[in-house]
Amino acid sequence: MGNYIVELENISKSFPGVKALDQVSFTLKSGEVLGLLGENGAGKSTLMKILSGVYIKDGGSMEIFGKKVDFLTPVTAQKMGIAIINQELNLCDHLTVAQNIFLGRELITNGILSDKHMNAEAHKILEKFQIDINPETVVGDLPVSKKQLVEIAKALSTDAKILIMDEPTSALTSKEINNLFAIIKRLKAQGCGIVYISHRLEELQYIVDRVMILRDGKYITTMDFKATTLSEIISYMVGREITEKFPRVEEKVGEEIFEVRNLNAGRMVRNISFSLYKGEILGIAGLMGAGRTETTRAIFGADPKESGQIFIDGEEVRIRRPMDAIKAGLVLVPEDRAKNGLCTKLSVKENITLPNLDIIASKLGLVNRKKEEKITETSIKNFDIKLANAEVLADSLSGGNQQKVIVSKWLARNSKVIMFDEPTRGIDVASKVEIYQIMNDLKSKGIGVLFVSSELPEILGISDRILVMADGKITKELDVKDATQDLILEYATKFDKKLDSRQEAIEA
Amino acid sequence: MKLNKNGVTWEMEKGKKQSKLKRIMAKRGMGQVITVTIGLVALVIVFGFLNPYFLTGRNISNLLRQIAPTLLTGIGQSYVLITGNIDLSIGSVVGMSCMISATLMTKGVNPWVAVIITYLAALFMGLLNGKLISKAKLPAFIATLGTMTIARGIAQIVNNNYNTDSIGEAAEGFMEFFYYGKTLGLFNTIWITMFIWLIFNFLLSRTRTGRHLYAVGSNIHASHLSGVNISSTITKAYMVSAFCSATVGLITTATSGMGTMDAGNGYELYAVAASVIGGVSTLGGQGILLGTVIGASIWGVLQNGLQFAGAPVAIRNIVIGIIVIITVLLDILVRLNKKAGKAKTGAEKSHFPVLKHKF
Repeated sequence: MGNYIVELENISKSFPGVKALDQVSFTLKSGEVLGLLGENGAGKSTLMKILSGVYIKDGGSMEIFGKKVDFLTPVTAQKMGIAIINQELNLCDHLTVAQNIFLGRELITNGILSDKHMNAEAHKILEKFQIDINPETVVGDLPVSKKQLVEIAKALSTDAKILIMDEPTSALTSKEINNLFAIIKRLKAQGCGIVYISHRLEELQYIVDRVMILRDGKYITTMDFKATTLSEIISYMVGREITEKFPRVEEKVGEEIFEVRNLNAGRMVRNISFSLYKGEILGIAGLMGAGRTETTRAIFGADPKESGQIFIDGEEVRIRRPMDAIKAGLVLVPEDRAKNGLCTKLSVKENITLPNLDIIASKLGLVNRKKEEKITETSIKNFDIKLANAEVLADSLSGGNQQKVIVSKWLARNSKVIMFDEPTRGIDVASKVEIYQIMNDLKSKGIGVLFVSSELPEILGISDRILVMADGKITKELDVKDATQDLILEYATKFDKKLDSRQEAIEA
Repeated sequence: MKLNKNGVTWEMEKGKKQSKLKRIMAKRGMGQVITVTIGLVALVIVFGFLNPYFLTGRNISNLLRQIAPTLLTGIGQSYVLITGNIDLSIGSVVGMSCMISATLMTKGVNPWVAVIITYLAALFMGLLNGKLISKAKLPAFIATLGTMTIARGIAQIVNNNYNTDSIGEAAEGFMEFFYYGKTLGLFNTIWITMFIWLIFNFLLSRTRTGRHLYAVGSNIHASHLSGVNISSTITKAYMVSAFCSATVGLITTATSGMGTMDAGNGYELYAVAASVIGGVSTLGGQGILLGTVIGASIWGVLQNGLQFAGAPVAIRNIVIGIIVIITVLLDILVRLNKKAGKAKTGAEKSHFPVLKHKF
């Protein structure tokens, strides 16, 4: 293992109202993969954004390749050999793959762009890393996992010596993840230093040499990965032992409250039928692209249905648009918080009251401020949402707290069935547990909970019954007592024979 | 072996050389250009039938000269729209340029010196727009609304709130150059426009700056992180727009032989229309200048043709307004169809930000 190529000392960074980093020191050696871990808001991304020149530090010193660096911009960082793969995709949808890879450092002959040259080079890069994408494809036409690969190829193409990967696998299939790990190992052998940020702790064992843990903007510890265990890592991240990762509550299963019969909506929702009973959490497992999100959206009326019936408390309800579903007491906590769940530019209060204005407003449409305050206050208290006051913007909250705002807005109006679509994606361990507890609470109160998740452990840990989907169909219904990860995976890969040329996602 | 979206593997595609036609067709935004070109041809045929005079050489020559100002401002507006912004100051900069050049000429300044001063003044407005938006982070709509009013005010103040007198005999050469003269049987205005179009089309499609204009319009954050100089890119777009507007202002002065304070009124929106009909997205990142040519031509042909057909101004306005809405609507429908087709053949999600839900 090589020398230190990055040494950061006592780095501090404040944003209005928050101390994001407090005297954090950080080192990276050549030829190692460092897992940078911590809950959301621990300061991992901020630290890496300082290292890649996106943010400017308030205090502390930086040494990169033994050279003191005081002022870093994205361009100078790139020139120094630092590349970052961002968590949120940073690609121009209108440009081709090659144009994106070479953005900002286009190849030029006699002052004219040489697209031919760039396409050929891009093809070489993609081939080298076994990424099967045509460099002339417009990025906007690619699915998310391919976009993620383009983002990775773009970073790798700079011949960077220091690579920062922020949740690179969140959208990838297992084959692609294996591929990425092979690439990481190769780069490591070439002497690159790699910083790997991920919430998927299980992934770490395949690649990570050392882990560094941050909590609340402070440095906690650095450990050799071999000399530690996942539970030790988790305990440092959250600062306390989590004895029970999945809090389970046993309830007596009561009468049926929700039924979907023969629902069809496009290719991804085919002949879906299931029932949901009082006192249970119904999990929907499956691989990415199995049609789970599409199913919840079609039920909720966000996407058009072709056929099918929906019953709540035994009575058929017609749902043509979300408003119909909300009025019937059927609500959705959608997959992409920032995009579909929240109005990020509105305050927390406005977000909570948005779907409840029919209750709050008078017949003439005048909003009753007192009622509004009361509903907001109750919601914040019930869900223990951590914020300065209800007027702060929704996007200033951490992922876990945002999720709570979304759930609380629906519970302010006595909903009967709540569908959660990947509610724990991208949020930290402690917040995850809080979300599980919220679901358990709902279950105990007799509210129907539908829980879509890609993470098998949580599906197994939280649901009472599990539906497995593949290719837009339900392939199996399992009682949690009989279900195992292997069994779920087996049914989740039951694709139609016609389509098995498609490489499908197998979550690692 | 995996299939790409055309059902051909990348290796196969690479192996056989793509035909030239296919390459042109694959170009971004070419689809809509072809659609609207068909529309343009249809319009020309219809108007030709309605009035035989429409297709005479004389009228076509005039028609092309009529299209020139819309095309020129359209080029500028397209540049700005591609970066995801808008330039509302175009019409006022046309008026300002017209008044500055004419006033200077009536005061006895050499017409060519007047031309240079006019360009400098206009470019300053472009620079101001660019910096207000990229450095001071003003929304483009607000910044250019402000400069629009300022430029109009300057147009009014340069000659003490009067239109100018005739720019006189000394400016004969200027008027020949910008409007009345012909070279190789075509009006100079048309040559100037073609020349400017060729330059800016080249800059947009073949240079690094051009690529950055698209990148900034497509995803400003990603561009920044890739080392694109956002401020300079946006400023360049506004300066191109100002340059085009100044040229139109000079053409206007040459046309009427005097300066008029309200010259160019409303041109910024005609420029948006020409761009949008030609497939330039107002959301940024998309469009080619060939489309703007077709868009401006449709605009000109409708104006000219409806006039020949005896339609009153009011009807012309209504028809053109409807055309703008329909072309954009068609584009959205085509994209939705593509998306639906994709969904049926399976596989990938589309990421066009088009709303498909009924509300």
